[in-house]
Amino acid sequence: MEHERCYVYQPPETEERAPKRQRVDKSLFQPQLKERLQIYRDLWAEQEQRIQTTLEEADSATQEQIVDFVSASGSSLDEPKFAIPTGLVVAGPSIASHGPYFERLGRKIRSDTESAYILLSSGECPNLKTLLKNLIKKATSRIEDEDDDDLEQSSRPSRHGPKLLNYDLRHIQDWRKKNRVSSVVVTIQDSEAFDAGLLIDLIDLLHSWLDRIPFVLLFGIATSADSFEDRLAGQSLRNLEGERFDVTQSDDIVEKLFSATVASLDNRLFIGPQLCRRMLDRQKDYVQNVQDFCDGLKYAYMSHFYASVPSIFLNHKLRFEDLQADAIEAVRNLPSFRRHIENLHEQDSFSRQLVRELLEADQVVFKELQYSTTSAQEELSVLNHAAQVLFSIREALQMTPRVKASIIWIRAASADLLDSPLLRETMLTLKKTPSDKFAKLLSTLSNLSDKKDMMYDKGSKQGRDSMDVSGIKKEFDSILKQQDASTPLRTEHDVRSDSVRATVVAQKVLLSKHKAALSKQDQAYSDLVTRLHNQLESFFKIALIDLQILPYSEVFTYDLKSPHLEVFQPKPRFSVERAMASPHDYLNCDCCSAVDGKESALGARQPATAIVYQMYLESGALVNVTDLWSAFKAIAGDEDDGDESKTMALFQRALAELRYLGLLRPTKKKTDHVAKVMWKGL
Amino acid sequence: MVSTKRRRDDAEEDGTPRKLRARIVDDDATATDSDAFEAQTPSRRARNQYLTDFGTPKSILKKTGTINGAIGTTPRSTRKLLFETSTNYVNGDTPNGTPTLIRNADRSARKKSNRRILERTLNGEESDDEVLDEEETLTEQILEEEGGAVETVEEIPQPEVPVPETPSKRGRGRPKGSGKKKPKSPTPPTELPPHEEYFWQNRPGGLKTSNNTLSAQYLLNHDEYFQATSSYQDRHEPEMEFLLELHSRAFDQWIFELEEGFNVCLYGYGSKRAITRKFATHLYQHLSGAPPYKGSKKTPKIAVINGYAAGTTLKELLTTIASIAVPPTTKLPNQPAVLLDFVLEYLSSSPPPHPIPVILNSIDSPYLRKSSTPSMLARLAAHPSINLICTADTLNFPLLWDVGLKTQYKFLFHDATTFAPYDAEIDVVETVNELLGRSGRRVGGRDGVGFVLRSLPENARSLYRILAMEQLALDIMDQGLDDDDEATEMPKKKKVAQAKAVAPESNQGVEYRVLYHKAVQEFVCSSEVGFRTLLKEFHDHQMIESRKDAMGTERLLVPFRQEELEGLAEDLASDAF
Repeated sequence: MEHERCYVYQPPETEERAPKRQRVDKSLFQPQLKERLQIYRDLWAEQEQRIQTTLEEADSATQEQIVDFVSASGSSLDEPKFAIPTGLVVAGPSIASHGPYFERLGRKIRSDTESAYILLSSGECPNLKTLLKNLIKKATSRIEDEDDDDLEQSSRPSRHGPKLLNYDLRHIQDWRKKNRVSSVVVTIQDSEAFDAGLLIDLIDLLHSWLDRIPFVLLFGIATSADSFEDRLAGQSLRNLEGERFDVTQSDDIVEKLFSATVASLDNRLFIGPQLCRRMLDRQKDYVQNVQDFCDGLKYAYMSHFYASVPSIFLNHKLRFEDLQADAIEAVRNLPSFRRHIENLHEQDSFSRQLVRELLEADQVVFKELQYSTTSAQEELSVLNHAAQVLFSIREALQMTPRVKASIIWIRAASADLLDSPLLRETMLTLKKTPSDKFAKLLSTLSNLSDKKDMMYDKGSKQGRDSMDVSGIKKEFDSILKQQDASTPLRTEHDVRSDSVRATVVAQKVLLSKHKAALSKQDQAYSDLVTRLHNQLESFFKIALIDLQILPYSEVFTYDLKSPHLEVFQPKPRFSVERAMASPHDYLNCDCCSAVDGKESALGARQPATAIVYQMYLESGALVNVTDLWSAFKAIAGDEDDGDESKTMALFQRALAELRYLGLLRPTKKKTDHVAKVMWKGL
Repeated sequence: MVSTKRRRDDAEEDGTPRKLRARIVDDDATATDSDAFEAQTPSRRARNQYLTDFGTPKSILKKTGTINGAIGTTPRSTRKLLFETSTNYVNGDTPNGTPTLIRNADRSARKKSNRRILERTLNGEESDDEVLDEEETLTEQILEEEGGAVETVEEIPQPEVPVPETPSKRGRGRPKGSGKKKPKSPTPPTELPPHEEYFWQNRPGGLKTSNNTLSAQYLLNHDEYFQATSSYQDRHEPEMEFLLELHSRAFDQWIFELEEGFNVCLYGYGSKRAITRKFATHLYQHLSGAPPYKGSKKTPKIAVINGYAAGTTLKELLTTIASIAVPPTTKLPNQPAVLLDFVLEYLSSSPPPHPIPVILNSIDSPYLRKSSTPSMLARLAAHPSINLICTADTLNFPLLWDVGLKTQYKFLFHDATTFAPYDAEIDVVETVNELLGRSGRRVGGRDGVGFVLRSLPENARSLYRILAMEQLALDIMDQGLDDDDEATEMPKKKKVAQAKAVAPESNQGVEYRVLYHKAVQEFVCSSEVGFRTLLKEFHDHQMIESRKDAMGTERLLVPFRQEELEGLAEDLASDAF
């Protein structure tokens, strides 16, 4: 089987009993996997829904424009046109998302307009002839009953003159006669990858056919429309009638996705800041790809529910009877549970009683766990909300530098925001806000407070209350009505001196003067702002908690980088090099480890390839195989065994494997030498 | 030059008294400084010195030159024999009135190195010779230093050195081995970071490796290799078993990942066939237990593709998948691209009950690396009805895919190091032969040549015999020279050995003209056209190679090593073909 190229797997006949045993093993090893995966599917379905909506929203605006453009150019059918209507779709540098984007666009164009949509990419069009062939093939096969059409086409030449070459655009003309399409949309997905000459030829040709076939060109552009224009000759440009469409860039989309998924207000599973930072960094540094972000998020969900038994408690409807004893036992082993117990133990005797119950009665653990999970989810939701509020305030006040919502969120989640300069600075700016900006701020805040109540401390012993933003807004409006002058209201903190006063006394004097100069409305406004400021400050203080200290945090948060990192950013080279440089790390055998107390020394008992590889590391750019062989023989050969052929076989195999892995290549510089290709770690 | 001068002096000494008198008169005329001189050192050497001083215009430079020349007579003569360059050096510095300053400047290290770089770029390919040259100069320098030491030792006992302020011991111009070149240490530096190590090992001149060659009888052929490996028992069998067991624990996880629409890629050292085979079994059982197959006679189908097998094409892969997905009555398109579209469209329009598992061993094999294959594979893998489980062996396989392809593949990577030998993936014997450039891809060794020759006319066979014989004769002659040299003194032998090491690249083989004349003499062919026709046949079968040597003359050679060539010549001579 192993030397066959392709085959369909056939199970060996003899294995009959193996499967049963395995299934038993599995259920023991993975308790309640099915139930957990069910929760995963429910949760992920919610997230996926959000992702889809976000993506569609992000696309829809430009897609709508492009569709309008196409249908507009198709409508004026009979008028003679002098230039090809051309859409320059500036899709940004993340080429990975171009393919799906143009496919979605194609679906929309085909469904919304009566046009044919042909997508061409540079890979399939090395020259004009192939391009035209592909164009015709793709255009004409769009119709139903492909076979009939083929038959008809092949029989046609005998009736109507000479047979058409398969790159003659007449095919499309004929095809269009049968299928009423208003226009033929030719889309060049990656215009940068096309040869400029080819593009010019294509444009000239399509232009010459424009009187017979109504072409519309769409160019996908990763750089900028200007650089696209620069590549074309003036004559060709004259044949085009361009319009530019800016697609939402992928980092914006990722930002939106992030807010919609990770930082959403009703998450049951909370993805930790470490992992998120990693995912976003990867976006920024390597991939720039929406799909990849979603995959990463999905894998985080998958890992959580697949690997962690306590994740079953995320099911709201879980009853105690459904549980297996393992689950509670697993919860008791969580670090946060232990911390929780220790904390309780240090408190009063009542708490100690609770400790005993938690340790002994499963029911108690279950109850407490359910209660604290729900409350923690609420708290985390508040945290997310707070991050959103902070971001919105900054946006409304147009503060610089612009900090991304995801970064604010990550800082909030890693409990690093409360005392940060970022928050302090924002609050200070809020205090000084003039009334024109304040209106905008209030409207965003009232939107946010509609989503979720914003709780704040009312002061000493009065308990908490939710912020009444609309009330503040009303007050603000009434103040504004009394204001006649066109200048915006100012707060008392908004010191606008023309010159900077040097001494403290002078500043104080100025401040009091300034206070005195405030009008009545200003004063009222100033009070209002201060009230809002205090409420917000209190809100942030309550909301921005440290999620690490929450008990049972492992149940409802996932912040492990371990499988995620290896699975998405593998280090194959490192792994192979490590396997060969220190085989003990993988084999964990007695013979290869620490020869004479020295780590990774050459030993006769190591695998042959590892020995040769380590000698390879020591050698220079050219390796003399003869010397390598004698060195190998000295290490791995049997002294008492006169027969060298076994050692030689091992040696040859090791050489061949190194070559297969891409470490060696033949050289003609010297006889019996091989050239080194890889330097370890380089 | 020095010696002639001295001879002249000698002649003057025992020459006519008139001349002698004249010289004395001259002496008197400029007696100011030379009188004392002569009085101090009445030796012949000093008088020489004195004479030459007055023979040439006065200058310190000249003076030192003469001194040097005078002193140099004794020790330098032996060195002249040893090293050509150094003799040149001495010759160039003789005090015969040439502007030595300029010449010294010419010889400055910078110019020299520039010239060398220029030569190297001009010659391009011949960097090998260059490497050897460099080595030669290095050894020369080391020896030179020793020689210099000897020189000073010899000079010290000569008390009559007349002008002590000149740095006479150093010789003329740049002292040897003290130029801008830093003294090279014979041991390579250790503990370099990887990139530094790269530049160190690839620096011009390179590392020195020995000229040992591996005798052909050491290398095993296929039979011997299989004999040797079949009896071999790996010590790490249990550990490898354990690794495999460890990986198979993750099978359920992989199935879960596949179900969630990801594809799986396994990497790591060692053949991963065992894992994929086991996984196929596991997956088969898993699928058999699920609804569409449970209780029915239908069995799940898993496509297995061995990418490493020679000649695996995308079309075969697609046909295998199509045979699973598409009912057998449908006619499949022929072109891979169309076939792919067809399969994908079929899968979209009538999706199978579960995604079709495709197990692909060695996705990075050379057969699946060709330009369009990865992108088509990615399109296939991106389809929701296809589950791809693949393995990758090479170190840098992720470089095969750009961001777009990676997104399409949607891989989750897992380290699956097994340490298992790549038995099916590699043809060990063939790979090693190719690696060492031993008749690997040629006609197939001696037998192959015989096979070709048998199908050629008599004349062609004769020509090939002549060529082989001539080449062998040349080889043996070279060797003979080498043997002779062994008897002579050591340094000479070294030089020849070095020269010989250079020879294989350029001076191998028989000169085109010589071979032609031989062929005409033996009535193998009558014209050059006929000769060329015969040669073309050999060229087509890669039985001969033609090279240009340093002089630009064309040389023809049979691309075999000497041992093989001997065997071949024997066969040819005995008319075995």
